[in-house]
Amino acid sequence: MGVGFAVGVLGVLILSHAAYFTIQYRSLLKITEEQFSGPPINVVMELIAGLVLCMWAALTVPGKFLSILPQSDENQVVALPANLDFMIFNHRGKTLPSSMDAKFK
Amino acid sequence: MVSKTEEEQVNRLEGQVENGGGGEWEYLCLVRKLKLRRSFNVLKYGLSILNNPKKRSALGSEEWTLYEQVAIAAMDCQRLDLAKDFIKILAEKFPESKRVGRLEALLLEAMDLWEEAEKAYSSLLEDNELDPVIHKRRVAMAKAQGNISGAIEWLNKYLEIFMADHDAWRELAEIYVSLQMYKQAAFCYEELILSQPTIPLYHLAYADVLYTLGGLENLHMAKKYYASTTDLTGGKNTRALFGICLCTSAIEQLTKGRNKDDKENSQLASLSATALEKDYKQRAPNKVSLLASTLRSLKLSS
Repeated sequence: MGVGFAVGVLGVLILSHAAYFTIQYRSLLKITEEQFSGPPINVVMELIAGLVLCMWAALTVPGKFLSILPQSDENQVVALPANLDFMIFNHRGKTLPSSMDAKFK
Repeated sequence: MVSKTEEEQVNRLEGQVENGGGGEWEYLCLVRKLKLRRSFNVLKYGLSILNNPKKRSALGSEEWTLYEQVAIAAMDCQRLDLAKDFIKILAEKFPESKRVGRLEALLLEAMDLWEEAEKAYSSLLEDNELDPVIHKRRVAMAKAQGNISGAIEWLNKYLEIFMADHDAWRELAEIYVSLQMYKQAAFCYEELILSQPTIPLYHLAYADVLYTLGGLENLHMAKKYYASTTDLTGGKNTRALFGICLCTSAIEQLTKGRNKDDKENSQLASLSATALEKDYKQRAPNKVSLLASTLRSLKLSS
C-alpha cells in the first residue's frame, strides 16, 4: 500500500510539473509573439507517464475489489433472513425439556 | 440476505466458539447483523459473557444491546425467568424507554398473556402512532393465537401504510401459501420481485406458486421465472433446473397434438436436463441412474 501511495504521489507531481512547464512555455511564446499551437512533445510524454502512474496507483491503493456478479461464488444468496419481527414464541420448542441449565448471577 | 461467504463465516465462528476457542462477541455481533435465529447458541454464549464480570465491563456501552439480544433468545428458549431478570436490569438502566417497553410486552407475549400484551402495545402506540415494530408484533400475536385471518387483516392494514417493507410482504406471501390462497400469494411475490429483482429466491418462490396454480399461461410464466432464477444463480440452483424440466413436460401434456414452436422449449428442457446430470455426477454419483430414469419418464409422458 505504501508503494502504491508513493507512485500516486509521483504521478500527481509529474502532472503538476507538466502543467507548470506548459504555463512557462506559453509565457515564453508570448514574449516571442508566436502562436500557441500545442504543448511541446516532452510535456505530452510527461502527461502520458503521469496518467499511467496515477491510474496504476488508483487501482492498487484501495485494496481488494469485491465481485458484483450475482453468480459468483461469494455472492450467492444462500438464505433469506429469518423474519425476526414476526417471531412467535409458542412453537414446538415450548414442550421440549429445557436442556439449558445455565443461570444468571 | 445471507450470502455464502457470510454463512461460512458464521459456521466457522460457531465451530470455533463451541470448541472453546473464544470469539463469542464476534459471533453474537454477526448473528445480530445477519438476523439469524440461533437462540440456543446466543443464549449460551451470551450468558457466558454476561456471567463473567471482566468480559462484561470490556463491552462498555454495547452491554445493553447484548442484554436485549440475550433476553429475546431466552424467551425463544422458554427460559422466561432469565428473560425477566435481563429486562429488569434494562428497565433499571433505561426507565421510560420505549425499547424496554417493547421488550416487556414481548415477555408478556411469551408468557401467553395475550390481553395484557395487547394492552401494553396499545399504550405504546398511543405515544407513537406509527411504530412499525409494534404493528408487526400485533400480527405475530394474532398468528400465535391461531387467528390466521386476523393476522392477514392486520398485515394488510400494516402494508397499506408501510408499502415498502419486504419482510412484511414475504410474511403475507407465506401465510397465503399456508392457506392455499395462491393467487394472493402470487401478488405478494410480484411485489417482492418488483422491489428486489436481483434475489433469485423470490423468483424461485414465485415460479413455485405459479406452477402450483397450473393452467397453460401460468406454466409458461413459471418456466420463465425458473429460467430467470437459473440465470441469476449461474445455473447452480438445482430446484430451478428441475422446475424447468417439470414445466416443459406439463406444458407438453396440456398442448398434446398442437405442434407449436416447440424447438425452443425442448432446447431449454434438454439443456437443463444436461446441466442436472452434470451436477448430479459431480455431487451425488450414486443417484445418477435415478435422475436419468426420472428425466426419461418426464419426456415419455408427453
